[in-house]
Amino acid sequence: MKQSKVLLGAIIALLPLVFVSCSGATQATGGWSGPIVEDGIIYAGTRDGRVVAVNVSSRELEWEWPDSTGLRSVIYSTPIVHDDLVYVGTYGGQVYAVTLNRGAERWVYPRTGAIGAIVGRPVVVNETIYVTSSDGRVYALDVAYGDLKWRSEPLADKLWTSPAVKDDTLFVSTLDGHIYGLSLETGELLGWSFEAGAGFASTPVVYEDRIYVGSFDRYLYAIEIGSNESRWRFPEENAAGNWFWASPIVNGSTVYAGCLDGRLYAIGAETGEEIWEFDAEDSIVASPVLMDNLLVVADESGTVYVFDVSTEFGDEAVPLKTVSIGASVRAPFYARDGLVYIRGEDDSIYVVDIDKGEMVEGWPVSLAVEE
Amino acid sequence: MEVWNLIVGNPVLNVLIALSHILGGSFGLAIIALTIIVRLITWPLTKRQLNSTKALQEMQPKIQELQKKYGKNQQKLQQEMMKLYKEAGVNPLGCLWPMLVQFPIWIALYQAIMRALATTPGNLLDLAERLYSWGIVNQAIPLSSQFLGLDLGQTASANGSLGLLLAIIVGGTMWVQQKMTQAPSLDPRQQSTSRMMMLMMPVMFGLLTFGFAAGLGLYWAVSNIIGIIAQYFVTGGWGYLRLRSQSQPTPVKGK
Repeated sequence: MKQSKVLLGAIIALLPLVFVSCSGATQATGGWSGPIVEDGIIYAGTRDGRVVAVNVSSRELEWEWPDSTGLRSVIYSTPIVHDDLVYVGTYGGQVYAVTLNRGAERWVYPRTGAIGAIVGRPVVVNETIYVTSSDGRVYALDVAYGDLKWRSEPLADKLWTSPAVKDDTLFVSTLDGHIYGLSLETGELLGWSFEAGAGFASTPVVYEDRIYVGSFDRYLYAIEIGSNESRWRFPEENAAGNWFWASPIVNGSTVYAGCLDGRLYAIGAETGEEIWEFDAEDSIVASPVLMDNLLVVADESGTVYVFDVSTEFGDEAVPLKTVSIGASVRAPFYARDGLVYIRGEDDSIYVVDIDKGEMVEGWPVSLAVEE
Repeated sequence: MEVWNLIVGNPVLNVLIALSHILGGSFGLAIIALTIIVRLITWPLTKRQLNSTKALQEMQPKIQELQKKYGKNQQKLQQEMMKLYKEAGVNPLGCLWPMLVQFPIWIALYQAIMRALATTPGNLLDLAERLYSWGIVNQAIPLSSQFLGLDLGQTASANGSLGLLLAIIVGGTMWVQQKMTQAPSLDPRQQSTSRMMMLMMPVMFGLLTFGFAAGLGLYWAVSNIIGIIAQYFVTGGWGYLRLRSQSQPTPVKGK
């Protein structure tokens, strides 16, 4: 009898440990909606499901939508601005159009219920907004009213990357390792698709007649549109140290790709050969951004690196400037007029002056609701 | 926590994902395969436990004799029973260790299931930091959480009637396993406690299955079934499960 009691006691004593240990694994990391700047206002989505408009000059909150309590749904998708509306997709599976000046809801799609979770940033082309969803479909909506123009057939279990557009074709990369081309007008699948050995983590980048995309198999692929074979994959032999999560960026004859192994690679766009690599302090999650001849890269440790990629300096793996913002960076960032706008994982907006190589005075501004 | 992940968490996670890739992308089959591997690794402990169980079954007539003889003097009864166990070389706590050893495995497995299925983009990104550079592991991502109509990443309760069925299977198989090993007592006071014990564990694990990811419930169910099969062959039959139904113990006189 005593033995049974000991056993029972031990089990009951260990159960809380099981609960505590298990609960740690279920914590979801918050959303990483990046900022966008239009007419001196920063627009960004927050983890509690708000879209906020912050004045760059005054650093004051112009408006927040829907209100301080938010939609109670994480926002991963970076908002986009078109005409007088800002559009955002939520992880709850709804697309909202909100007025730029007052932050009032113009429309929501679907009108009731939800589609699959939205992670990728939507794109707007010819008065149509294209949205990828975790139900595996692409949705084309009218920008003014949010009416459905078409929705594609399910392309995969989930679509978590943004669509890319070239001419009359929309390209999407899927988590199960396919690149599909769809008609921009009808959403019908075109005859061509590309299949890799592993899922695609990054949004495809279309440059001229080629697609550059990073994969879970730790390679970056260059794919000729229309071909079933990759033109090259990087690295040529041994895979990189981790996934290529960030989308690459193309500057003339060079592709720049940040990797979760903490390296920034400069690769010949034609050959796939490495030109240089740079060791960052941490994983590179956010996609690099080009601002004239300056390449801006931020890593998870919160360090921002600026490289001069002009012809004169393009083959040098030495950053022109290095700025630490002190907050982890995962969200896509925005660069314009010598300033880089970054949303840190602490839900604050940071503004870095590239010329001065330092944070602009008065920033960061927290997006969190004050208690 | 980092040490835990390095030694237990990440190896279990990577093996689970690799198994999933080997087994045609089926995460459910990967969990079943991992359960079998875990049971093989812990087999020496299980074997010891089963041998103890068998020895206890064989000693049952002597124990019942002692219960009759010292039924009124609990202290003396315990002393005599301990003496009997010692003489037979049986450790009555032998059954404790296989269960205790499995606790860290449950924790690691639960974490592995949640991490491997990476239901949010944040989880997927975090997963990248835990994966080995094995091509087989990276090519398996993302995993499908569907198995026999169950979503293994969701709680059994979120899986509806199939989740309920899983919880019943977990509780039921645990009850059978316990029933096979637990000797019926002659003492009416102990009988009621034994009955409560016999129900408590299956009910508790049934409820846990309901609240945790279905993948963990699948592990428990398969682990229990393997346990029943091993017990059947090592102890040579259904043990007290059959015995119980054949003859009810007679209460001790004067009680």
